[in-house]
Amino acid sequence: MLISLSWRNIWRNKTRSMIVVAAIAVGLFGGVMAVGILNGWINQRVHDSIYNEIAHVQIHNPEYLLNEETNLYINNTNEILAVTDTMKDVKGVSARIRLFCMAQSDRATTGMVVMGINPTDEEKVSQIYRKIIAGEYVDTTHQIPSIVIGSKAAEVLKLINYRITTEKIDSLLEQKLPEQIVDSVKLLIDKSYRKKSALLKDIKSILSKSDFQKYADRLASVFSEYRLNKSLVLTIQSSNGELHYQLFKVRGIYQTSNSQFDAANAFVDRSVLAKMAGLKPNQVHQVAIICNDMDKAQSVSNELAKLFPTVSVRSWKQTSPEIALYAQFGDFMGLIYVVIILFALAFGIINTMMMSVLERIKELGMLMAIGMNKVKVFIMIMLESVMLSLTGGVVGMGLSAVILAILGHTGIDFSAWSEGFAALGFSSVVYPSIGIIDYIEITVLVVLTGIISSLWPARRALKLNPIEALREE
Amino acid sequence: MAVIEVINVEKTYNESQIKVTALKNINLTIEAGEFTAIVGPSGSGKTTLLNLLGGLDKPTSGRIRVGDVWVDTLKGSKLINFRLHHIGFVFQSYNLIPVLSAGENVELIMQLQGVPAAERRKIAYSLLEKVGLADRYKSKPSQLSGGQQQRVAVARALASKPNFILADEPTANLDGKSAENLLQMMEQLNKDDGVTFIFSTHDQRVVNRAHRVVVLEDGVIKES
Repeated sequence: MLISLSWRNIWRNKTRSMIVVAAIAVGLFGGVMAVGILNGWINQRVHDSIYNEIAHVQIHNPEYLLNEETNLYINNTNEILAVTDTMKDVKGVSARIRLFCMAQSDRATTGMVVMGINPTDEEKVSQIYRKIIAGEYVDTTHQIPSIVIGSKAAEVLKLINYRITTEKIDSLLEQKLPEQIVDSVKLLIDKSYRKKSALLKDIKSILSKSDFQKYADRLASVFSEYRLNKSLVLTIQSSNGELHYQLFKVRGIYQTSNSQFDAANAFVDRSVLAKMAGLKPNQVHQVAIICNDMDKAQSVSNELAKLFPTVSVRSWKQTSPEIALYAQFGDFMGLIYVVIILFALAFGIINTMMMSVLERIKELGMLMAIGMNKVKVFIMIMLESVMLSLTGGVVGMGLSAVILAILGHTGIDFSAWSEGFAALGFSSVVYPSIGIIDYIEITVLVVLTGIISSLWPARRALKLNPIEALREE
Repeated sequence: MAVIEVINVEKTYNESQIKVTALKNINLTIEAGEFTAIVGPSGSGKTTLLNLLGGLDKPTSGRIRVGDVWVDTLKGSKLINFRLHHIGFVFQSYNLIPVLSAGENVELIMQLQGVPAAERRKIAYSLLEKVGLADRYKSKPSQLSGGQQQRVAVARALASKPNFILADEPTANLDGKSAENLLQMMEQLNKDDGVTFIFSTHDQRVVNRAHRVVVLEDGVIKES
């Protein structure tokens, strides 16, 4: 009956309780959404970082990590590959030659890292092959070897032209760009640009300032055309210290969520790069491993480190501590948001509960007079506070669960800031997600808030003298 | 053995550092089955005496025995438990819990005593039947008249199976007819079931029906 009595007590003043419930619900909705978006970003960043960039485990010659020179390759690659092939927790292994190079196109030059890979092995480790936005992935059958570069590198090497065609303008409508923007851009039809800056200058002249800020990058992306099959000359230092160069054809452009990675990494056939660098087929700089599960990375890394003490074996947490930090503290940071929100809401709950106690002084006096002990009075008030908080909590979490389920499917599009996000390695489309553990933690926090918020009002009730309370008018 | 024995009780308060004597040299014995009214003008000490008998307050000196327990020595949870199991209270303004039905208000005290749900429902129903309100078991206090609410309050007081019922000005908020009905009902309970009632009252109708009248004046029993 105490539970039933507490529940009914909450609804004595429906308006007041509804306001507190609504405040808790809205507050928690905001908190849960913030946690969901943060989780979405972090999960995407951690996933992309592992599957596009660093893999779960990396093996190097320890000296290569100090001084990334061509001749500091792994000496026992074959033994390592023989072992990794038999490990049950290992899903894919890719042996990579990794060299710094100077890349020269017909219009520009830039420094980058070129990875010599076996495309079949690499596809089991990295998802770059799925990120191809123009052309094809590394193909080993061409006479003039292929190179796959990132979209940002293509921009730097001026391997992009910008052409405004009727088809591309029509596609803008399909991408749901406002009609007045599309109409304005029609003024530029059939124009071509070699530089992005020239295109942006013309777009700026026909759009308002706010529209330009909002749509310029998307328009540039739609009008861009990669100059595939153009030549790219890579110059590297071979294992004997001499400079070697080789002509490649740009046959593929990839784009990840990290524009810095896209600007600095190119992929070619390993055998071509080995020949160029004067390395034997088993002389590689990096063995990248993907495990069946992210949680297995550390155990696989430890096992390999024990078996091969002469090489450096690092899990993704050691390779990229900042990503590990994101993964580790993402939930924690989200919970800090929720704690701050609940802390603010606690004052509202205290106020409501205090009002509720002060309005019932005579009744509480009567209950104490007829024999309700202090523990029961305290439990009754605490239950009221917890139930009030939980009602708001359930409404807020229910609402956010529905919205998150929808947004987790459709994603939230922040493409107006896509360049900024890409520069930080984040995707501009976020798929918010929240785990069952987060919901459990938030529920516990809501209950704790209810308990803590009840302490002051309950203390006030417990200090009542039944005789004085019964005299209250 | 007398159900209540008050021996040389004195009660003083310190109000703004002035000593006020509310009761002095009170000696009183109440036997089981009495229907007693404590009367006197305002400030004569009626409510103070009732509070002392009900264990809500402690005498400055003297002893109070209820059954075989010296109430003045009880403290904390023992005192609360004593009130719960031995004394029934009826208040001037009924003091029912507005969110509970009449039946649940009667059940509440039994729940505090730990009586199982089915049993307390049965007892609550029979008590409401006794006060003529069985058909209002599910009615909220706001749906009942003042007289009906006070009847529920009497049923609630009876629910703990107390040694006696203390009723502080039970008719003060009732109209003539309701007060008459209530008193009739309480007298019937006293006659049929031997329930001991002790009233503090100004109401002449209560005094007329009381089997014994204790007159208090300036904290002293003038007539008993």
